[in-house]
This record gives sequence, C-alpha cells and structure tokens, in this order.
Amino acid sequence: MTDRLAGTFFFLLAAGYVWLSAGYTAGFGDPLGPAIFPRVIGIPMMILGLSLAIWPRHNASWSDAGGLLRQAAAIGLLLGYALLLEPLGFVPSSFAAILGLSLMMGAPPIKGLLTAAIAAPGLYLLFDRVMGLPLPLIGTWFT
Amino acid sequence: MDILASLWAGFSVAALPINLALIIGGCFAGTLIGALPGLGPVNGVAILIPLTFAFGLDATSSMILLSAVYYGCMYGGRISAIMLNIPGDEPAIMTTLDGYPMAKKGQAADALAISGVASFIGATLATVGLTLFAPMLAKAAIYFGPADYFALYVMAFATIGGITGSDPRKTLLAALLGLMLGTVGLDPSTGVARYTFGSFHLYDGFDAIVALVGLFAISEILFFLEGKAQSSGLVPPGRVFPRLSRVKEGLGASLRGSVIGFIAGILPGAGASLGAVMSYSAEKRISDKGSFGQGDPRGVAAPEAGNNAASGGALIPMLTLGVPGSGTTAVMLAMLISLNIQPGPLLFQRSPDLVWGLVAALYLANVVLLVLNLPLIGMFTRVLGLPVWGLMPLVVAISYLGVYAITHAAFDLLVMVGFGILGFVLRKLDFSLVPVVLGLLLGMDMENNLRRALSISGGDFTILVQSPIALTIYVLTGGFLVLSLYLSRRDRSRTLD
Repeated sequence: MTDRLAGTFFFLLAAGYVWLSAGYTAGFGDPLGPAIFPRVIGIPMMILGLSLAIWPRHNASWSDAGGLLRQAAAIGLLLGYALLLEPLGFVPSSFAAILGLSLMMGAPPIKGLLTAAIAAPGLYLLFDRVMGLPLPLIGTWFT
Repeated sequence: MDILASLWAGFSVAALPINLALIIGGCFAGTLIGALPGLGPVNGVAILIPLTFAFGLDATSSMILLSAVYYGCMYGGRISAIMLNIPGDEPAIMTTLDGYPMAKKGQAADALAISGVASFIGATLATVGLTLFAPMLAKAAIYFGPADYFALYVMAFATIGGITGSDPRKTLLAALLGLMLGTVGLDPSTGVARYTFGSFHLYDGFDAIVALVGLFAISEILFFLEGKAQSSGLVPPGRVFPRLSRVKEGLGASLRGSVIGFIAGILPGAGASLGAVMSYSAEKRISDKGSFGQGDPRGVAAPEAGNNAASGGALIPMLTLGVPGSGTTAVMLAMLISLNIQPGPLLFQRSPDLVWGLVAALYLANVVLLVLNLPLIGMFTRVLGLPVWGLMPLVVAISYLGVYAITHAAFDLLVMVGFGILGFVLRKLDFSLVPVVLGLLLGMDMENNLRRALSISGGDFTILVQSPIALTIYVLTGGFLVLSLYLSRRDRSRTLD
C-alpha cells in the first residue's frame, strides 16, 4: 500500500516537474537549453513511479500511536529550534531542545535537566570560546 | 618509482603536527562513532563536515580528518556487534554472526583482538591497493571526454541500485529524486532560475552539506523515536587478555577477506556492507565445517577484513573518477566539491599534496587505530553503556551549530530539518538515501557534461554512444545490472527458504 502511494506521489511530482520545465527557455548558443535535462530526469521518473504504483512490492510499517506522536513532537521541536536559534540565542534554545529531546527519548527528568544544563553552555564554550566558531550566545530578543 | 617518491612527499604532508593531531583525534572519534549503535560512518562524517568548514581547515586537512573518522568507524562498528549483538554500523552486521556467539562463550577479548587485527590487515592492504591502482586509473581517466563522463554517471546511478537496494526501481527513483533536487537554483550555463518558486533563498540551490546533515543525522533522530529501543545486554568481557593462538586462526581468513572486500569496494555503489557480506559468505564456503555462526574466529575475521578493505577500495573511484563507491565517500565528495576541488583524474596532477597526503595519512591512521583498538579497547567497550537519550540530543545540537556556523541562516536550518523528514520517510518506504545524495551532488556535473558533449556534436545525441570508452562503460553497466538482478533474485529465494 505504501508503495502504491509512493509511486503515485513520484509520478505526480515528476509530471509537475516536467510540466514546469516547459517554462524554462533560453536564447542562443546552448544546444540543450535549461529544459531538456529536467525532462531527461522527469520522464523516466514518471514511468518508474507509475510502475511502482501498479506493481508494489513493499509495505512500510509505521510505529504505534505513541511513537508517531513522539515523532511529530520531535519534528515540531526541531523546527522550533531552527526558528528560535537566532531570536533566543544558542544557549537558551539548545538548552530547551536538548531537554525536550532527551525527555522524549526516555531520560529520567532530573538527569535530562542536568544533561541539558551542562551540555548547552558546554557546547557554547567548547565551540565558540575554545574553537572560535561564532555562535550567538544571547539572541536578538534580549539585546 | 614515482609512486614511492610521491608517497614520501605525502608522508611529509601527513606528518605536519596539525595533520597528525587530526589523524589521532579522527581515529578516536571514529572508533567512538562506529561503536555507538545508531551512529555510523555516514552520520559521523556528515556531522563533522560543517565543523571542518567552520574551523577553516584546508582541503587536505579536512580530508585527512574525515578519512581517519571513516576508517575509525569501520574499526569501531565491530565493538558493539561483538559485545551487544547490535551492529554499530551497517557493515558490522556480518560480524555479529560469529562475534556475539564468541562473546557469549566468554571469548569477547579474543573476538575483539581477532577482529582488530583483521581490520588492520584489511585496511592496510586496501591502502596499498589504493596507492598502486589509483594513479593508474587516474592516468587512464584523463582520456575521458564529456560523453564518457556522462556514461560514467549513468553507470554510477544504475549500479548503485541493484547492489544496495531491495527494489532496483526504488534506487533509480531515489537517484532521480536527487538529480531533481540538484536542478533547483540558477542554471549555470544560461542563468535561468529553475524550480525556485520565487524564493531567493533557493537561487543557489540546496547546499549539499545542509542536505546531508539533514538526511543522515536528523532522520536518525526520528528513527530513534520509533520507541523500539532495545535494552542492551552487554556481555561481560570474560578473560581480559586475548590469546595469540586465536588471533593466528583468523589470519588466513583476513587475507582472503581483504582481497574480496577490496574488489567490492572499488565497484561503484557497492561499499563496505557488500564487502563484508561477500567476504563472510566466501569464507564460509571455503572453510565452514559446521562451526560458522557458533563463534568461529574465521567468521569474525573475514567480514571485518572485508569491510575495512572495501572502505579503502571505495576511495579509489571517488578520488580518480569523482564517482563515489559508497555512502560515506559520497559525503566526502560533497565536501571536496564545496571546497571547489573537483575530484577526478586531474586531481592527481593539480593537488598531489592532497592525494598523497591523504594516502600517507591512511597508513598512519591504521597504525593509530591498531593501537587504539587493541590495548585501549576496554575504554571503548565502556562507552557502550552510555544512554541514548544523553547522546542523540547532543548530535542534534552539534548538527545545528555546525550548519549555522557555515551558513549563518536560519533558513538553512529549516532546510536541514526538511531533508531530515524526507530522509526518514524515504527510509521507512525502503528507499536508500545514498542515491539521493549522489544525484544531488553529481546532477550539475552530469548536466554540464551532457551539454558539453552536445555542443561538440551540434545537438546530435548519437555522440553519447560513439566513443569506445563510453561504449565500454555502457556494456559494463549492463553487466552489473544483470549480475545485481541475479544476486537479488538469489537472495530473495534464499530468504524464502
């Protein structure tokens, strides 16, 4: 079933990709132009996607509801970490991210808190102060 | 003799204090990364790449560091395979078959010593092979024209699939997806913006490094949250010192395994896992009298020699042709391209310091690894007790700070997470990630060579099959495909038994 979905997805993706390539034109001097290579890729992809949708071979098994919830929460956390790294600064945002992830992975709360409290400033000191990578200590919201 | 002279010059590069420090640090970190279940060579190297950029290491030093880590991972993968029955990385799967039974019999020290020596033999022989064959291949590859390179890329994509993936269609789809992602951005020869959807962030295309860290490091986190964390049954090490007599039992198997692994490594797209599988099954056919699978030293030595030899062999096509032979070498290729160094036959003429410094560093790394992995093995086995929840969040934080340090853009962090989700979904659906990376990396070059070939011929597509080199490559590709179809058929009928 997942193969059918994946095949359909790839077919549609490739079809859209080839369709968009029609808009890419350039003038003289280049025998190939910017549109041909996308077609060289897109057309076999459409065929392969279709074949996967018609003759599937594999069915993925997803984790249980708890696992899916944890994964969704982790994605949210990772996106939040990416968005907040600059506004909050490296140390506060990393503290929150490390704490959140370690709890999701089953850390005992106190130990998770300790890990985050040591690791976030520790990484900052190691990479910014010792090794000279410029990282924002405190973000734009506080300054 | 000029090989020896070049190698001598290489040693003078590798022996610079900064490079020696990187070799030792890299070997240590690599063994650690390899030993920890869930972190393999690809993730390890992917996380380190942004850091090498941020520290401003030059290309030679970065390559030395990454290769030391790569070799170290191959040594380290066996530790958890033997002690926990969990392969530390993919190629170590075969080592669990006889390594864990040996550990259960109280012979863990023997098994670790046998596999350590086997790793050393495999990696050293492969490095010798690299020294001898890579310059030859580089000389031959100078005669390649654009059409031949295009053929070479076709071969890389066609062969990587049959051997690594379960379903060849999926591997091709993954490669095409990578090529597709590679076309995003300004078209290099005409300046047309393709598939940017009006976002200026995308005009430069996807940064391969950002994509790699996402695909390999971030997707691994999502995998961990599946919630099937095995409780580790660490085997008590038994006797402390290995017996020399047991180590000797594995020597023959190590030599045979090295040769097989080396050949498997050179094949594009095969890599270390295949090297380990082929060495183990060959050794089993040669010397099994019912003791394999129950803790036979030869069953530990052969796959370990095989995977280490294969990882050395995989460097050959990467350096001489610019076509990586495995996932990790693909990641290293990404780094070289980002440093504006085009691997390929000219690399040997343009940057002899890099090539020979790297080769010399590999010899030194092997010695360092032997020392780390025999007397100091106890330290690494203790690391296996570390909890996952303490480790993986740090991997995330290091990925973020590494990527942020090279791009200084929160947008790239979002792209990294996006690639992480993509990598997770693809792996769940049984797609391999290596072809995606290859496509993303090689796409632009493949298109440029196609364009160059067609401007020579004035738009006539038959130029692609006119050169004898290209034809040879297409024939070889066909041969590989038939072989891999045969192998996948055989494997499937075997698993059904």
